[in-house]
Amino acid sequence: MIYRQVFGEIFPMETAIAGAVFVIVLATVIYAVVLRRARAGRSASGRIELPKLELAYAVLLAGVAAFLVYATASANTRLHRATSDPARSGDPAENVKVTAFQWCWRFDYLDRRTSVGGSCASSRHYPVLVVPTGRPVRFRLTSSDVEHSMWVPALKFKVDAFPHHTNAFTLRFDEPGQWLGRCAEFCGNRHSFMHFYLRAVRPDEYRRWLQQHPGTP
Amino acid sequence: MASAAPGDSVSTTTEEAAATAGARAWLTTTDHKRIAILVGGTALVIFFAMGILALLMRYQLAWARNHFLAAHEYNEVFTIHGSGMIYLVVTPFALAMGLYLVPLQIGASTVAAPRLTMLGYWLYLFGAIAMLGGFALATGAADTGWTAYMPLSNSVYSPGSGQDVWILGVFLSTVGMIFIGATVLWTVMFLRAPGMTMLRLPVFTWATVATNLMIVGAFPSLLVALGLMIAGRMAPSAVIHNVWNIGYQHLFWFYAHPVVYVMFFPFVGAVAEVLSTFSRRPFFGYKPTVVSLLAFAGLSMSVWGHHMFTTGQVANDYYSLTSIALLIPAGLEYFGMVGTIVGGSLVFRAPMLFALAFIPQFLIGGLTGIMVGTPVVDYHVRGSYFLVAHFHYTLMAGSFFGLFAGLYFWFPKVTGRLLNEWLGRIHFALLVVGTNLTFLPMFWLGQHGMPRRVNTYDRSDGFGALNLVSSVGAAIMAAAMLVFVANLVVTLRRPAAAPADPWQGTTLEWATSSPPPPVNFTEPLPPITGYAPLLDLRRRAASERVT
Repeated sequence: MIYRQVFGEIFPMETAIAGAVFVIVLATVIYAVVLRRARAGRSASGRIELPKLELAYAVLLAGVAAFLVYATASANTRLHRATSDPARSGDPAENVKVTAFQWCWRFDYLDRRTSVGGSCASSRHYPVLVVPTGRPVRFRLTSSDVEHSMWVPALKFKVDAFPHHTNAFTLRFDEPGQWLGRCAEFCGNRHSFMHFYLRAVRPDEYRRWLQQHPGTP
Repeated sequence: MASAAPGDSVSTTTEEAAATAGARAWLTTTDHKRIAILVGGTALVIFFAMGILALLMRYQLAWARNHFLAAHEYNEVFTIHGSGMIYLVVTPFALAMGLYLVPLQIGASTVAAPRLTMLGYWLYLFGAIAMLGGFALATGAADTGWTAYMPLSNSVYSPGSGQDVWILGVFLSTVGMIFIGATVLWTVMFLRAPGMTMLRLPVFTWATVATNLMIVGAFPSLLVALGLMIAGRMAPSAVIHNVWNIGYQHLFWFYAHPVVYVMFFPFVGAVAEVLSTFSRRPFFGYKPTVVSLLAFAGLSMSVWGHHMFTTGQVANDYYSLTSIALLIPAGLEYFGMVGTIVGGSLVFRAPMLFALAFIPQFLIGGLTGIMVGTPVVDYHVRGSYFLVAHFHYTLMAGSFFGLFAGLYFWFPKVTGRLLNEWLGRIHFALLVVGTNLTFLPMFWLGQHGMPRRVNTYDRSDGFGALNLVSSVGAAIMAAAMLVFVANLVVTLRRPAAAPADPWQGTTLEWATSSPPPPVNFTEPLPPITGYAPLLDLRRRAASERVT
């Protein structure tokens, strides 16, 4: 899962940098609070600038910004390539149309005439999006009413679903597993329980699943 | 007057007193200080109401599957909490501080176009009444969030008239804010005292200049977005295509990212003044800070797409570039603040405590802002409690601490009364504990998959413990605010006896009486030699004593 992979690279890196900056600033504030407390004989500095230091610091900040932009944009580029249309690589993809609606999900397997619906009213009936491992799955995400957002927290991916618009993206699932999916864009009264399951299964199991869920002609 | 009979002069004085004291005098005033007190006072009253809504939410979310509020009630509560805080509390209060202080800090006797400024207050007040009046409607208040995305906010999906009065309220208050922002900007441009050059403006005034530039540049975009929403309510089928929905988001965020800094800059300016005053030195790094504020304001209008990374319809890398570039001016501003205290001689009074806590607390909001400005991170955390934690660290742990630093600092100037120091310290301590206890757990909740704007969650989600901690934190914040109310009550019952300059202030507002007379300055202004003229004066006097 490319989303989880790039998140796992960038987020800890940014957290480490943020943590270091926070510790440095906090330590400086504590230094000032403890050691620069007003007392007899101490006078405050009247200095209002240190132009050379300020310039060097601005250059350092620009360097950090440039590094962050480079690192994160290249991660985003890798993600973008990995999720773009697999037709060019000649990999046969499974095509699934995902329709979000108030307040549940429908999954149409475009090449199979198989559809999965469900009810988000009870956790036993959340719709299950079954996908094969080992080969690309091309999603076409849309909405039939208001804006929703398809989020699988464990896989760190989220794409918005708009009415009258389709967002297409490709995911590859390397390992079998099942994860809870949620709606991440407020969409009305039952937004809180607009859940689904995403289940990745091995190709043979996927074939069996398809046979058990024949399409309605 | 010399030729008038004694009786006439007595009656004139009585009339004058009546003309300045009555409710009518307040409601028709052209004194920028009174208009600012009206705006700030109204915002403070609404702040308490919005805080109560927050407590309702925290009670509802304290444990899994709580049935205290129904989903539709919860949706109204979070919508009005967010809308109220942003449109009716923090933005107006930020502007009120500028409206009160800027003419004083630049040695002017009035604000430019005071009647237009007063009209701004009236529009804001009627807007507030319209939006909050939604709760009195049979169909309830608006319930589509402060962002009110289309098409959810159109008349098909939100048929109740709560959304209509919400539009009215946001429209009126936003027009009011544009008027007030524009007149204060005009004041700085044209009404500065002789000698008050642009590079002698106090840091707070510069922060207000940057704020008002953003208001004039970005707020009209919200009015256009609201126009689109009105179309969606009058003829939803006419604006059904995706271009209107995504177009609304562009128009909205073109306003709504700069407003984040509008709700921040005046408070950063307040923190800068407080840090400088209680470090007994001029603000360090003045020029880089001024340049940073302006760069920030400029960049603020080029980052809006980072709110739309998951839409699949914006150039993510571009908006990520501009967003991450913000760390340069932000870092320089921090350099100024930290540099000021490092070389200072620190005095710990209540305003200083709030200002000091602002530094690390806002930093958490800023650093996590870089994370949410990174597309590959935002794909996970957008729309989650991580984001809720992030923007509450900027607004509550940041802006509100700056607000209280400024409020404790300038309260004697505005009312002639010093707030009680010990109650102030209790308020501060409780607020630090409550704020961090409330918002820190939300980072983990978001990471673990809790979406924002949910009215409840399942036991199996495992969100219960952190939510309970957060709710306990909210209760502590409520206790802190009760202490603050007690402080206001105790203080306002005492006589107005504050001296002109209780803190050894550095800027011109401390050179006039507390509260200042209607024309601001009755004595000649002290020489304006820099951005901290009173400090310069004291330092010169001290060196003359030595020599």
